[in-house]
Amino acid sequence: MASVTDAELKEMTQEERVKALGMTTEQLTGKSLYIEFDPDAEERFTYPWAPDVDFNKRTELDCDGLTTTEVNAKVRDLMNEGYGTVVLQNPRGMHSLGVGILNKLNLIIEGSTGYFAVGLIDGPNVRINGRVGWSCGENMMSGTVMIEKNAGSTFGAAMRGGDLVCRGSVGSRTGIDQKGGTIIVGGDTGALSGFMMQRGRMVVCGNAGKNLGDSMYDGTIYVGGEIKSLGVDAVTAELTDLDKAWLTRKLKQYGMMPDKGVDHFTKVVAGKMLWNYDNLEPNEKKLIL
Amino acid sequence: MADGDMPKKPALARDVNRIGDSFIFPPRVMDDIHIKSELGRYRMRGFSLFKKIPHWDDLTFMPGTLTRFVIEGYREKCDTDVKIGPRAKRPLELDIPIYITGMSFGALSYEAKTALARGATMAGTATCSGEGGMIPDERRYSSKWFYQCIQSRYGFNPNHLVLADGCEFFIGQGCKVGLGGHLMGQKVTDQVAEMRSLPAGIDQRSPARHPDWLGPDDLALKIQEIREATDWQIPIQLKLGAARVYDDVRMAVKCDPDSIYIDGMEGGTGAGPHLATEDTGVPGIAAIRQARKAIDDLGKRGEITLIYAGGIRNGADVAKAIALGADAIAIGHSAMMALNCNKDIPEANYPEEIGAEPGYCYHCHTGRCPVGVATQDPVLRSRLDPDEAAERVYNFLHTLTIEAQLFARACGKTNLHSLEPEDLAALTMEASAMAGVPLAGTNHTVGIEDYHHL
Repeated sequence: MASVTDAELKEMTQEERVKALGMTTEQLTGKSLYIEFDPDAEERFTYPWAPDVDFNKRTELDCDGLTTTEVNAKVRDLMNEGYGTVVLQNPRGMHSLGVGILNKLNLIIEGSTGYFAVGLIDGPNVRINGRVGWSCGENMMSGTVMIEKNAGSTFGAAMRGGDLVCRGSVGSRTGIDQKGGTIIVGGDTGALSGFMMQRGRMVVCGNAGKNLGDSMYDGTIYVGGEIKSLGVDAVTAELTDLDKAWLTRKLKQYGMMPDKGVDHFTKVVAGKMLWNYDNLEPNEKKLIL
Repeated sequence: MADGDMPKKPALARDVNRIGDSFIFPPRVMDDIHIKSELGRYRMRGFSLFKKIPHWDDLTFMPGTLTRFVIEGYREKCDTDVKIGPRAKRPLELDIPIYITGMSFGALSYEAKTALARGATMAGTATCSGEGGMIPDERRYSSKWFYQCIQSRYGFNPNHLVLADGCEFFIGQGCKVGLGGHLMGQKVTDQVAEMRSLPAGIDQRSPARHPDWLGPDDLALKIQEIREATDWQIPIQLKLGAARVYDDVRMAVKCDPDSIYIDGMEGGTGAGPHLATEDTGVPGIAAIRQARKAIDDLGKRGEITLIYAGGIRNGADVAKAIALGADAIAIGHSAMMALNCNKDIPEANYPEEIGAEPGYCYHCHTGRCPVGVATQDPVLRSRLDPDEAAERVYNFLHTLTIEAQLFARACGKTNLHSLEPEDLAALTMEASAMAGVPLAGTNHTVGIEDYHHL
């Protein structure tokens, strides 16, 4: 291989160099040798899809006879065409309807949905004129979701931002692992609501079930009705004027202001005893767990 | 001579009056009780289990001699590539059947995470985000990247999900099956806390249950949700701690994932209760056989990939796990050792800094890792050179592969995945019973009446 000069070798990739020099090496299937990575491989960060939509461009989609995947794909297609307001008719309790929308959009669902309705969203404003199943608004990042009737359990699980509103009552474990944003419930909530809540606010205008705010790290829960029991490390706190002003503004925003105002709300926060459990005195440990 | 009288000549260097040592209460157990009665809680530590269990060393290969044709050990072609989730629109194609498992940013330093990503990319294989969300540089350096959907959902972001090449549901961990993750306050720095939406400095004990589903029926719907959010492109993987493996895997298959990851009890952790690491889960040699059987019984071989992790130290372990039925192997702890874990580097003074000699350190949970791997301390982190570390990770992954190929070729296979249980023999009755391979030198497989006529 004397015909190859040093200068030429420097220009070559390692694989070409090995071939040019007639060297053979251990082959891992497909690729060989040392694969150089490219630290600026920006394609791994490309957000492939963020269509510019016009809220005034409105269309309706009948879900009858379509699968969830077809409906979700169709909604994406409509957004690509610039439609900013999409009405879904006859959702027939479909699961995973409208999940993963990472864009602005007015989505109106005329009926009830199944599990995981509008989960994993970042941006859209959603109105559901019906009931929803479990885990509605799961892990939502921003936007507003308004449910006109009741919702199932784990409403707003692991939610990180935006407003998630249910005019009716919700099931148990509402706002479990909540990391931000606001959950507003017009009616009652079930057991273990706010379990391991981390940040954000939850407003329950009706009653709360057993073990409210169990193991919560931080965040605030406001309850208008009765609390059946508080969970481990959840404590009541004074409702300040700032809390009242915020509650008034937020509830008025969604037309859910109770007739008797907000003065009767109970505020529940973290006792913070579990933050550094190891630092507790032995008798305190027994009280906590 | 009366019992207890001293003998005339001091012939024995032991106290003959002493009746014996307690097997149930040796000094270390007594120390443990003393410490816990001061402490008032379980003791935390990192690393994996300490006690002896039947494991890879209890199996041996039966290479070709005259009954089998061998393949040239160092040269001839022996395929290693593997496709995770072949049914997915965009399956994860790995050049080697070993990838880096999920270890969180928080448990590991930024340098360690990026070095693992770079090393894996060089080797043509994947990494996983672990708990606590994506760090952009890890994604940038990883050509193939799993995003973990873990119980706590710390830092889980749909905008990051769409960047992933695969999504892994963390349902359990072999080291501490049934428990959530731990991150002690020392490691919850401002940055880590912000990524996880937590107050800084708290002892973080992650939830053990997923927030939005409770059982396999809900999980099937949750998987469908993730598929909808990612346009059915990427493979969905379920990571299970090895416990009731056959039944768990049958239920997992019912949820219709693209791959199933079984974590044996040998698996490690960055922080966990000592007893949980010792006393939960089942060993890998038992788990893989059961998982394989469950997938095959449901007719999903070739459709659902089986991944094993836990206690993989060298190419022989990789080859044995593949022979027992795994399609691919994930490594965590040994990859950390490639980074420098427990190595006596010049900058570190183990006895002073961590109170243990190199080789005996299991103090990942303290966040004072002397080699800058499992820490968030800027001074300690500077002890890990990411460039050199990435190279070591690559070298280690490459070595594991050629070692595994060595055994495959010796057994006459031109594809690593052609290894089968028939190529193995057990050295102990326990290993024979668990792995379902005959005891060496016999036709007897413990628990199976007639192995050759199943």
